[in-house]
Amino acid sequence: MREYETVIARVEALARELGLSFDPVVFRLTDSEEIAEVASMGLPNRFVHWYWGGAYKEIHAQQSKAVFSILELVLNTRPSYAFLRRTNTYLQNLCVIAHVYGHADFFANNHWFRKSNKDILNLAEQHARTFRSFEEKYGRETVERLLDACLTVATSVNAFERDPARRARRVIYYLEARAPLQDYERYILEAVRQEAEYFDLIQRTHIINEGWATFVELELLRELVSARQWAEVSSSICSRPATYMIGYTLFQHIRRTWGWQKALEVRRFYEDVRLVDEMLTQELVHRLDLFVYDPRDRTKNTEVGAVKEMLIQQKLYKGDPPIEVEDPTGPRDLTLVHVEEGRKLDPKRIALYLRSVYTLWRNPVRLRANGKVYTYDRRGLSTS
Amino acid sequence: MRIHRARIAEHKHDHLLREYLKQNLHELIQQKELVIDGKVKTQITTLDLPTLRYGEEERFLAQGAGQAQSTGGQGGEEVYAVGGLLGGDHHGKELRVELDFEEFVRLAQEVLLEELQLPALHHVSRGGEVETEDLPELDDLDRWGLAADLNLEETMVTSLLRNIRERGVAEYDVDLRLDGWYFVEDPAADRNHRSLEIYVLDISGSMRGDYLALVRKMIFLLWYALERRYPTNLRRYVVFQDVAEEKTRDEFFSVESSGGTHISSGLEKAMELLEGVSEYDKYLFLFTDGETSSGDFELAKRRFEEALERFDVVSYGHVNPGGRGIGGFSEYVQELSRRRPNLSFVNLVDLDSIRQALREFIPYLNGEGGTARCGSTRRSSRGWRRSPGSWA
Repeated sequence: MREYETVIARVEALARELGLSFDPVVFRLTDSEEIAEVASMGLPNRFVHWYWGGAYKEIHAQQSKAVFSILELVLNTRPSYAFLRRTNTYLQNLCVIAHVYGHADFFANNHWFRKSNKDILNLAEQHARTFRSFEEKYGRETVERLLDACLTVATSVNAFERDPARRARRVIYYLEARAPLQDYERYILEAVRQEAEYFDLIQRTHIINEGWATFVELELLRELVSARQWAEVSSSICSRPATYMIGYTLFQHIRRTWGWQKALEVRRFYEDVRLVDEMLTQELVHRLDLFVYDPRDRTKNTEVGAVKEMLIQQKLYKGDPPIEVEDPTGPRDLTLVHVEEGRKLDPKRIALYLRSVYTLWRNPVRLRANGKVYTYDRRGLSTS
Repeated sequence: MRIHRARIAEHKHDHLLREYLKQNLHELIQQKELVIDGKVKTQITTLDLPTLRYGEEERFLAQGAGQAQSTGGQGGEEVYAVGGLLGGDHHGKELRVELDFEEFVRLAQEVLLEELQLPALHHVSRGGEVETEDLPELDDLDRWGLAADLNLEETMVTSLLRNIRERGVAEYDVDLRLDGWYFVEDPAADRNHRSLEIYVLDISGSMRGDYLALVRKMIFLLWYALERRYPTNLRRYVVFQDVAEEKTRDEFFSVESSGGTHISSGLEKAMELLEGVSEYDKYLFLFTDGETSSGDFELAKRRFEEALERFDVVSYGHVNPGGRGIGGFSEYVQELSRRRPNLSFVNLVDLDSIRQALREFIPYLNGEGGTARCGSTRRSSRGWRRSPGSWA
């Protein structure tokens, strides 16, 4: 770690010169395994669930392939924790350090992140411990079954939504407010929802956050590395995931068109939807070689409108079909509606999904989708 | 000490996955191509939370191969889905679940043993046995007898020098063919297998779906029983329809069913494989629906008689998941099995008949457990067939 201390101080000073501001960053030198662990669970000390196990396997397998391995990890906490992989080369870790300061600046300044819970590590630890005590008290299987159901509905969180009426249209908030749950069950649902909101925020700002961090990284490195190293860095940038490149290209475009101050402003006030909506142009779509691909007739649509729509759609419901709760007719009524009626849901998943909701709601659950009404009650699934 | 939460999670995940695979074993085992590159691939990607998804093939955001302006082309060129749009703890589910074939077999055996309520068998002790894949060090010439105090290179060089010195010709008078210097049997190839199992499978048109599932389940259980007895057994695989072919294990579990049925060809191939075999026990397992082509019937009978002479145990599984009557060649074998002690016939209808088959096929399961010395099976097997057994 000591070999990096001087350069970390240098990068930090340079970042401040650029006009960035951030909370302290604590770097940790670690191995691929811990990185895979944190990446699969999202947080280093989260409660244990089988779902992370599958992700861990996947990431662990990818770590061996150099191109897809995760080079860095940073947590939105105060102070920020960042992980450096021991097996990275010095130059790679230098990139990571510079990149991390980009994230730290984003965490501290972006409008949405400023409001986020910077104490998530303690919260997650507390949740994990409480869940464990529940397991002892109520039985492991009971708690695990409940967690499965909670995590299934947790994709419906929206960290941006503040209006209670509109939040109540999303399944998880509705259940939290009205489901006939015992105290410990409600605690679990609430805990899962809180953690899901932490990740939801990250997901809704992924493009802008990574784009900004990459942009800052290159600004800082230009001052720090030799010409030969610079060539290496810029070629490695191109093999980053597409999201990084989209965000980075947009920030480059912003600075070129409106200057550095505008770039700072965008990183403060924007999130992914607004960034894509306002800044993506036809020319950039061509430059990034982005298109909407239709596997049915194998056609590409390179029109900026279509690409934008696709990106924004991904962000609004995170790739999941948009499901809303219909106004209830009675206290035990729960009817879900698939908003995009034209598209068909995978029928195999419907029964399993509704069973999860039923586990929490404990009264008949209805879903209007695929031109039918699916009902799940204690007898199982029926269709009408 | 650091607690590896992700490893605990992985363990939980794998436990659930095994449960899932167990529940779906019957479907999995029917896959025509069961083994691909030594792995069993399943339809499931990995366990998932049952969130809702779109059903049909949907449009997605993609990126070209990196060349800007490569648009305009229709399909054919490279299209990469833009993944990871969400970051955070959102993971793409791209990893298909693959199991090593051995792992799959173990899993299947677990399920089947449980289903048939068969007890677990013990491994026989392998004390004093030497088995190696490595070539032994070539430090003497005849590795079977006493170490000969001879060295080929040295002898050749000395002979060469002598001939140059005495006769003025650069020749050596060592006859490599006659002296047989290095040409002793390679001990690495002479593993002590104890048993040779030849699996002969009918892959004519009718053998698929439930037929395959039944045969494979049967084979997995046979393996289980035989491995406890012969940990170093040698297995060879033959498939036949009109003609017979020897297959590797993986190919054997990935055959296309097609063509007519010539049982004689399968038996001929199996007997070819007996050349130079010196194992204690030679097992032949033949699985077919018995509907051999009419022209083949007489020849198949003759070959079958011959096989009965040459194998220690011949086991005939009449694959019959529909539970119909037994006719054709199978009827003949069933009849014959009443007279021939080293032939067992089983009508494979369902799992229960597999239990029956195991008792018929592998006599030592019937009472003796895993205690007998190897090699004794050959002589005593005849008497055991009808005794009540531990796998009954």
